[in-house]
Order: sequence, then structure tokens, then C-alpha cells
Amino acid sequence: MARTLLCEIVTPERILYTSEVRMVVATTLGGEVGILPLHAPLVTQLAPGEVRLQFGDSASEWEFFSISGGYLQVHEDKVIVLADDAIAVSQIDMQRAKESVDRVKELLAELPPDSEDERQEFLRDLSWAETQLKTAEKRGA
Amino acid sequence: MATLRDIKNRITSVHSTRQITRTMEMVSTAKIRKAQARIENARPYALAISEVLGNVVKNVSDVTHPLLEVREERSRIVLLAVTSDRGLAGAFNSNIIRMTERMMREFTDQGVEVELVTVGKKAAGYFRYRGIEPAMTLAGMSDKPTYEHARQLAVRVMDQYGDCSIDAVYLLFNRFKNLAEQKPESHQLLPIEHSVLTDAEADVEARGRNLEYFFEPTSESVLASLLPTYVEALIYRSLLESAASEHGARRTAMKSATDNATEMISTLTRSYNRARQAAITTEIAEIVGGAAALEDQA
Repeated sequence: MARTLLCEIVTPERILYTSEVRMVVATTLGGEVGILPLHAPLVTQLAPGEVRLQFGDSASEWEFFSISGGYLQVHEDKVIVLADDAIAVSQIDMQRAKESVDRVKELLAELPPDSEDERQEFLRDLSWAETQLKTAEKRGA
Repeated sequence: MATLRDIKNRITSVHSTRQITRTMEMVSTAKIRKAQARIENARPYALAISEVLGNVVKNVSDVTHPLLEVREERSRIVLLAVTSDRGLAGAFNSNIIRMTERMMREFTDQGVEVELVTVGKKAAGYFRYRGIEPAMTLAGMSDKPTYEHARQLAVRVMDQYGDCSIDAVYLLFNRFKNLAEQKPESHQLLPIEHSVLTDAEADVEARGRNLEYFFEPTSESVLASLLPTYVEALIYRSLLESAASEHGARRTAMKSATDNATEMISTLTRSYNRARQAAITTEIAEIVGGAAALEDQA
């Protein structure tokens, strides 16, 4: 049995996923990183996008997640992905994500110019919906 | 003197009150469990954030960040008071409100302006009634707070702190100690106290995780984005604790209400029986008296 990594995907509300994996690939601010066992200790910021986990040797043994950005910490074969929002790609509801993109865009257009707090919030919702759409499309959901 | 029917009516009404309080007690018991589970679920994230924070602090020689900057002169501060939307929870809300008022007085006496941010209808209602309009309120979510709510609050106070329109933020909420006990607490939220960082660092070292980390892009930028996340997680945690406390306080309040109702019913039943017996005795006395009078005539 090849050496494995323990990978946890944690959101503020719960632990979304935890499992032994062969490799973790995540999107950092600077591009994708692949984490294999025996990786050096690392803390990095993640950009909104995909996190994928490889289980076996064949290309089919992958699992895909969409995250809204966060952090990744590697420590002695344990990888913790901290994300504000995260969802398994198979769980993404394309219909809903599309509707939410449209709705948030409408709301943004109608927003009075002085409500900076709301604008930030809508932009974050928008970015999260778009991230879900993008990763779902890429994986042919 | 209460008539028999009066007493009977009261017994019936206390009975139905007891039914309601007993149901509320059971509902709260069920909700505490869910709220506790939510606290448990939020723990891994908070732990991981503070672990990463500890690692970063260890690796950054000069820790500076706007949210850490302590200002000597305070001209305006924010009190963030977390209460519930509904009452009937004993002293749950009044404890927080009283604490908020006390801190307001203390700061006002020192010549510091106080701005209020409230969570829950109770605090907002109380202060509005007294002519103090909260600068921001969140309501209608006190028993089911989400991370999004915490973020809204965090963003608001951090923005104000960042542009120097406020100089400190205090968080007041009920900590959930156990099923029967809630403790109102106040904490300084901003500026983030340096002890938070040194504690996180000491914690990392205590667990023997003394490793050299690589940081991407840089340790400074990780720190800069981690601190706001830390504040969000802290607020989220206090919202969750407050939600669990609310159900705990309500359960205790409803339990004693149910007990009181039971006692009242037994007292009332006793006086009902006594009144009934008195009526019967009077009646017999009248009959006997009447009979005796008839016999005398015969």
C-alpha cells in the first residue's frame, strides 16, 4: 500500500469531507499545487476554484470539490483545506447556481451606490456561484 | 370569597398554561441538542484557524496589522450585544442588556462615544424604546445563526476599525457552560489582543509542532487574510454559543414555570375541595336546622 495523505475539507459550519488520499490538487493564488505524501509543511492561501483528490492509480479515481477560497495547511501527511464555502462537485445544482448568478447580478445593478457593505456581500455571493458553475462545467456535471 | 366556579376556572386555566410551558420545555430540550451539535461542528474550523495563526506568528518576525494596532486615545467604540429574538427565557436577555448598559455608562463617563450593534430583536427593541438607535441590527436569526451572519457583523466592525471611525469593539454574549448554566461574558474583539497570538503560538509549540513552514504567497499576506477570518470565526462562535444558551435558559425558565403551575394546581384543588366541603356542610346544617324547627312545631 502506497503512502497516503489524510485530507480534511473544513468549513466554518462543519467538516465537509475527510479521507485518506493519494494526492491533493488545489488552486492557490499563484496557480495549482499538487500535494503528495511527505510534502514539506506548507500554509497557503487558496483562490476560489477546484480542489481535487486522487485516490487510486487510475484516472477515474478522483473526487472534485468546489471551494470559495480559503487556506490550505500541510503538516506531516495531513492536509487541511479551510474554506468559507465548499461543496462536492457532484452536489452542485447547476440550475440553482445559474439562477443565483442572475439574481445577484440584478440585485447588484439595482443597488444604490452608497451601500458598500451589501455590494461586498453580493460580489462574494456572485463569485461563489460562478466558481461552482465553472468547476461543475469543467467536470461535465 | 371565591365561588366554586371561580376556582374551577382558575384550575383549568393554570392547567392549560402548564401544558404550554411543558411543551416549550421539551421543544427547548430538543433544540439545545441541535445547537450543541452546531457548536461541535464549528470547532474543527476554529481550531485549525488558530493553529495556522500560531504557525504564522511563529514565522513572522514583526507581527503588525491594522486589526492589531492598539490606539491609546479612544473616542468611539462599538458594543456588539448578542441577544435572542424571543423572550420567555428567564434572565437570558436582561443579563446581556444590563451588561451592555453598564459598559455604555462606563465608557460615556470616560468621554468615549458608544455605538451599538445588536443581534436579536430583544436588544434592538429595548434600546430603541429608550431612544438609542443601534448602528446596525441583525434579527430573526438568533436561534439559527449562519457563518454569513457572523461575516456581516465582522465586515462591518472591521471596516469601521480599519478607517479609524471606531477604536475598539467589545463582544457581549451568553456563553454556554452546560445545559443548565449560561454565563454572560464580554470580550474585546478589536483590536485583537496580542495574547491571542501568543497563546496560539504557545499552543502550537506545546503540541510539538515545531516545524518550519513554507508560506505562499508570503507569511505576511497569509497573516493579513487570516486575522479577519479569525474575527469572523470568533463572532460565529459567540452566535452559536448564544443560540445554545438561549434554548438552555428557556428550558430552565419553562421547567420552573411548569413546576410552579403544578404547585398552584394542587393548592387550588385543595381550596376547591375545602370550598365544596364547606358548601355541603352548610347545606346539611340548614337541612338539620330546618328539620329540627319542623319537629318543634309538631
